[in-house]
Amino acid sequence: MSDVVFKVQHLKKYYEINLGMFKQPKIVKAVDDISFEVRKGEVLSLVGESGCGKSTTAKLLLKIEEPTDGTITFEGQDITQLHGDELSTYRSKVQIIFQDPYSSLNPRWKVGRIIGEPLTLNTDMTAPQIEERVRYLMEKVGMAPDWYDRYPHQFSGGQRQRIGIARALALNPEVIVCDEPVSALDVSIQAQVLNLLLDLQEEFDLTYVFISHDLSVVEHISDRIVVMYYGEIVEAKPVDALFANPEHPYTRKLLSAIPMIKSVS
Amino acid sequence: MSNLVEIRNLQTYFYSDAGVNHAVDGVSFEIPQGKTVCIVGESGSGKSITALSIMGLIDPPGRIVGGEILFEGTDLLRLSDAQLRKVRGRDISMIFQEPMTSLNPSYTVGYQIDEALRLHQKHLNKKERFEKVVEALDLVGIPDPREKYREYPFKLSGGQRQRVMIAIAMACEPKMLIADEPTTALDVTIQAQVLDLMKELQEKKGTSLLFITHDLAVVSQIADEVVVMYRGHIVEKASAEELFNDPRHPYTRALLHSIPRPGVTPRKSQLDTVDDTVDYLAFPKEIR
Repeated sequence: MSDVVFKVQHLKKYYEINLGMFKQPKIVKAVDDISFEVRKGEVLSLVGESGCGKSTTAKLLLKIEEPTDGTITFEGQDITQLHGDELSTYRSKVQIIFQDPYSSLNPRWKVGRIIGEPLTLNTDMTAPQIEERVRYLMEKVGMAPDWYDRYPHQFSGGQRQRIGIARALALNPEVIVCDEPVSALDVSIQAQVLNLLLDLQEEFDLTYVFISHDLSVVEHISDRIVVMYYGEIVEAKPVDALFANPEHPYTRKLLSAIPMIKSVS
Repeated sequence: MSNLVEIRNLQTYFYSDAGVNHAVDGVSFEIPQGKTVCIVGESGSGKSITALSIMGLIDPPGRIVGGEILFEGTDLLRLSDAQLRKVRGRDISMIFQEPMTSLNPSYTVGYQIDEALRLHQKHLNKKERFEKVVEALDLVGIPDPREKYREYPFKLSGGQRQRVMIAIAMACEPKMLIADEPTTALDVTIQAQVLDLMKELQEKKGTSLLFITHDLAVVSQIADEVVVMYRGHIVEKASAEELFNDPRHPYTRALLHSIPRPGVTPRKSQLDTVDDTVDYLAFPKEIR
């Protein structure tokens, strides 16, 4: 098996906006002919500004949206052709962590049920087995296992993001798509969550597709970076090469716009 | 250097059945004429409440229970609501984080800038006010200001809306502008433009700026003086240069080291974090 997890070729996603009965619909090219690879065990970051298509790309990888054109293969399999059991196997291998830890957790469910839901839906595990696994996952993401019976509102933003991470880990995925996982958090909490993501990657041999607009975070965590602009990829490179030698004018503009602390002893 | 604003021992508490929340608990600092002071801290540190206290925008269950806010020597806390309304918008104005929600969607951009002039510059007639609004739009870098006067906010991008907010705030040429996380909701390239604009306006008009943010990198770019807040208290106060070159308080250091810095922090290394088991208030305050 090759070490390429995802192979994306000439991927397009267009949305039609109806302007009225007698008018031509307007076409929004959210993703316009992009190709890239995600390799096993790496952190690949998609960066760009609002509306550049990075989240649409993530949705296409997760099969939440269907592409207009182009192919995505996951370990050699074309994901657009997946149905039934194959599709649910695929879904358990590719998980997501959302940006907003407030709206992505059901406020009426206890933490144990939230983290255990993927197990209930996708495995034959019994209730006691699920509970055991949930408590194990909670420990792995740095939560006290006796918080099992609490509700999301009893937790801070950082703790809630840990709940989301535990849920994503439940089915032993190979790839986790992290959609702006730290941008809603305070800086000190952001550091804790980044540390956790890096620890978990090592321990569970994970591949991350990391979506962010914060280039200092991206620089810290990534192996390779894909820069998107208006639905297209303008530059894709290993992180060192990108920061040392940005070629595309947009990449240069983006890099020069990051506020960086000048000097700290 | 004279101080435009002096805040002495400000205490703003919030009262609820569960008890009293000491949101701002004995905060003192100065804002010099024409300089930029940044208040930096995490959620719940009291930085926004400090700003709202200066603006007189604390509503029950919150109450300012003690201290003085001296604006050109006058204690704002002793003014009546009517007197305060004259200061607010004319001498001190404020821009908020969310450019999407702080503009009224049912009025044109021009009307909303004009509102500040109608209230505070009563000697101007309609035509003069129109010219001033166009000038303000032009100043904040909105293209075709005459046409944009008649546009509604939904037609503008996030960056342009924040520019309009700045135009409203600057319309009466205030002596002080309070900006509460003005660039947090914006993309980095737009953030850079808005920060440049604010600096440029400050240089042109000599406005004092109180800038509230959680982003230390932004602070390092625009601040003259920095106030670090933690749980309602100031833990460190210093010039930007001193703070970034020689942070003395353990909390400031923890905060600085929790941000990955390209080229300095080793890639994929564990970042330092603010340790929530440590009571940072137990350390001596570093006020320089």
